[in-house]
Amino acid sequence: MTNLILLNPEIILAAAGLFILLAGAFIEEARAKLLFHLGTISALAVLGMIIAHAAFSAYGAGTMWILDPGAQLFKFIILTATVFTLLLSVNYAAIQPRHIGTYTALLLWASCGMMLLSGAMDLIYLLIALELISISCFILTGFEQKNPRSAEGAIKYFLMGGLSTAVTIYGISLFYGATGTTSLFSGASAVGLHLNDPAYLMGMLFLLVGFGFKISMVPFHFWAPDAYEGAPTPVTAYLSVASKLAALGAMMRIFASVIPHQALNITLLIAGLAALTMTLGNLTALFQTNIKRLLAYSSIAQAGYMLIGLVVADPIGRESVFFYALAYLVTNMGAFAVAMIVAGRTGSYELEAYDGLARRSLGLSIVMVMFLLSLAGIPPLVGFIAKFYVFASAVNSHQFLWLAVLGVVNSVVSVYYYMNIARRMFFLESRDTSPVETDIYTACVIGITSAATLFMGLLPETFMRLVKDCVSFHL
Amino acid sequence: MSLLSLIVITPLIGALLILAIPGTRIKLIQGVALVFSALCLVLSGQLYRVFDTTTAAMQLVQRVSWIPAFNIYYYVGVDGLSVALVILTALLTVLAIIYSFNITLRVKEFFFWFLLLEVGMLGVFVSLDFFLFYVFWELTLVPMYFLIGVWGGPKKEYAAIKFFLYTLFGSLLMLLGILALYFNSTPHTFDMVELINQARLLPLTMQIWIFLALYVGFAIKIPAFPFHTWLPLAHVEAPTGVSVILAGVLLKMGTYGIMRVSFPALPLATRWFMPFLIVIAVINIVYGAFCAMAQKDLKKMVAYSSVNHMGYCLLGMTAMSAIGFNGAVLQMITHGLITGSLFFLVGVIYDRAHTRDIDAFGGLAARFPIYAGLMIIQVMASLGLPGLAGFVGEFLCFLGAFNSWPYYVGIATIGILVTAAFFLRMIEKVFLGPFNEKWAGLKDMDLRELIAIVPLAVLTIVIGIWPRFCLDLIDPTITYLVGIIK
Repeated sequence: MTNLILLNPEIILAAAGLFILLAGAFIEEARAKLLFHLGTISALAVLGMIIAHAAFSAYGAGTMWILDPGAQLFKFIILTATVFTLLLSVNYAAIQPRHIGTYTALLLWASCGMMLLSGAMDLIYLLIALELISISCFILTGFEQKNPRSAEGAIKYFLMGGLSTAVTIYGISLFYGATGTTSLFSGASAVGLHLNDPAYLMGMLFLLVGFGFKISMVPFHFWAPDAYEGAPTPVTAYLSVASKLAALGAMMRIFASVIPHQALNITLLIAGLAALTMTLGNLTALFQTNIKRLLAYSSIAQAGYMLIGLVVADPIGRESVFFYALAYLVTNMGAFAVAMIVAGRTGSYELEAYDGLARRSLGLSIVMVMFLLSLAGIPPLVGFIAKFYVFASAVNSHQFLWLAVLGVVNSVVSVYYYMNIARRMFFLESRDTSPVETDIYTACVIGITSAATLFMGLLPETFMRLVKDCVSFHL
Repeated sequence: MSLLSLIVITPLIGALLILAIPGTRIKLIQGVALVFSALCLVLSGQLYRVFDTTTAAMQLVQRVSWIPAFNIYYYVGVDGLSVALVILTALLTVLAIIYSFNITLRVKEFFFWFLLLEVGMLGVFVSLDFFLFYVFWELTLVPMYFLIGVWGGPKKEYAAIKFFLYTLFGSLLMLLGILALYFNSTPHTFDMVELINQARLLPLTMQIWIFLALYVGFAIKIPAFPFHTWLPLAHVEAPTGVSVILAGVLLKMGTYGIMRVSFPALPLATRWFMPFLIVIAVINIVYGAFCAMAQKDLKKMVAYSSVNHMGYCLLGMTAMSAIGFNGAVLQMITHGLITGSLFFLVGVIYDRAHTRDIDAFGGLAARFPIYAGLMIIQVMASLGLPGLAGFVGEFLCFLGAFNSWPYYVGIATIGILVTAAFFLRMIEKVFLGPFNEKWAGLKDMDLRELIAIVPLAVLTIVIGIWPRFCLDLIDPTITYLVGIIK
């Protein structure tokens, strides 16, 4: 049985993208914003489908793809991020009306690729999903045509992305050479059979590197700050949340449950990379003067914390990554939304734009402080619970206690640059004292994400149950 | 809802209410802050009334499941160790809020953060679930950061972030210690009472590591040498009301944590660490005193005297006997009262003269009799004059410690001498001698300042004469505590 029906959400999303692309060619420029709403509605509809089948598990087409609560969770995260991104885009000035159709369609297709990725069980299928994501995201990054930074970011992203794809394909071919199959889940690819085969191990390592690019793991992170800085801000938010988490979800599936990294004996390698990722991300973020670059490096560091859960890879470790992904979704989206609003008013992404923001717009400043504190992991916000979860898994494992200690030191470092923004907002004065207004769509995003940041921190039980279910029903 | 939850939630409601009031309605904001903090004090007065002094058990307990996935409860209760600290917190907050009515800059935010800070402090003292404890512990951090950073002195930003980073580093290490305790209990629990019963059976090496992780978190707060460098800076830069809370309540969270968790839960490690703790206590006492002596700035002098006085507290704790522990807890209370009012008094003079330089004054006693009288009472209490509150606590600390560590206690007495020296020298320079005519136009204390300081002076005298007023609350729990550590 091919079970194509399992791909209905992805198919619907892709078709909606196609329709919007076509509609974009015919719609009047004055009404083009309608396409954003169309995109939002289709993403919401698909989101509804995912939620309705949240606890569903099945295989498709001889285990090319699977459906399980874990995959559904990541699809939920991806689609929520897509909805937020579309809402942020509505009043983003740099997107020209005649390109709105293309923009929305690309965003939906990228999301479609990410959804495919989160259920991938076959390397060819996985590669197609990755390519769909990458190509859509390259174009989205370069979407600000008048901004040379955007083009620069897109080119860098494209070159590095191309390299990562090449490495991934090479890894897949080695894997195929060693096992005779591209399926991750068949008897032929079982770890025990190939442990002494260097080609197999090299294949897995190359795959790891390929994913490393996607989640901006050090030392494969160089593209991220430039791409993030150049891309239109909603796209930056999308890249830092959806793209990263989707790749992380796939990584969790492959390296923490299907072919455990402990069996491959690369646990220490991943632990080292996690340590490097959080440390380098945080130390570099200290010196940033541009909010988008700062958040880019901060998101590299956040990936490092999440990797701790992957390193530990026991049930608590996997739960912690899933929970962290949820926390990161709402917190980072919110932070980018505020950054976009502030830049829209002041015209600058430099940190100076935040001077005296508390006087201009107290509500916005308090919400931003909430997001920053959540990223730093201060209770009672959701970021704290997420870090608590990750550190708990590391402490529980004994072996990786050192990662938790390093995580602690890193959290302290990160507070310095996060609170530097709070300092600018609350302690400094600005020459311009006019209030900063928020349009209704962005206000909606900020409202939802800030409420989630607070309430998921105060009452995390529901979500902890959710991630526990995801891990225990992992196929 | 139990009385304790009510006490914790009252300031929170006040804080949220203040957030809803437009920033221009300054009188209303001040009124709301005063009413809610006063209500909290009234409730804690009720707590004093209903508190049963004959038992060592946890009282007024409320336990509601919060995060079952990690077996975390909203679990509050008080015993002799915490009840007095809860009341002290409520009292000092009301007084500091009254004193802070002179704040004119961004009033709304100030009182919002202030009430939020009170929630955190009260929460720390009533929490019996370690996770909840940690959440409240961290909750004090952010308001303090803003209170120092916005309303502080010239180097406020540096002081604020230094305070934040120091404390956060400690508390995150503490979090690892808490997690280690959690994963070493069966079934896994954050319940402090349960952890105390279970963790004491852990092997020594494990206990030492956990003790160390917790200790760093607590020691930074106390602040114990060598983690004290954030304190003088934060104190000097903070506005008066905030300094009072910082010295009066926040420092106690450190010693409270050690006595609440580290000692009873990790008795083997406690004994192993004792030789280090006594050295740290003596360094705090002597070094703190000498540093205070070297200061020309009145506020910095009081700040270093806090380091010195928290040393007495540590000294009492190293005694490992009922006398020493009683002394340590009493010292926490009296230090809160005395140093709290000293910071108020320093604020009073600074508001008028805009300087805190000890050498800039002279002969103030004759012109400002009320101010001088209050200052002299508190200074005498602080340097340990019998008949005033400070003496009782210090005496018990030294008495308790003398049994176990006679030589160290001998060295520590240098600290007492130096304390007396620098305080008396300060009295001499500021209040006696020829009057500096530069200050002729200044007025003596006004009603707002008197309301803030007189209650503390009265309590200082009352506890000095009748310490059982306080000790009766503490003693049953301490006796029990000493029993389980030995």
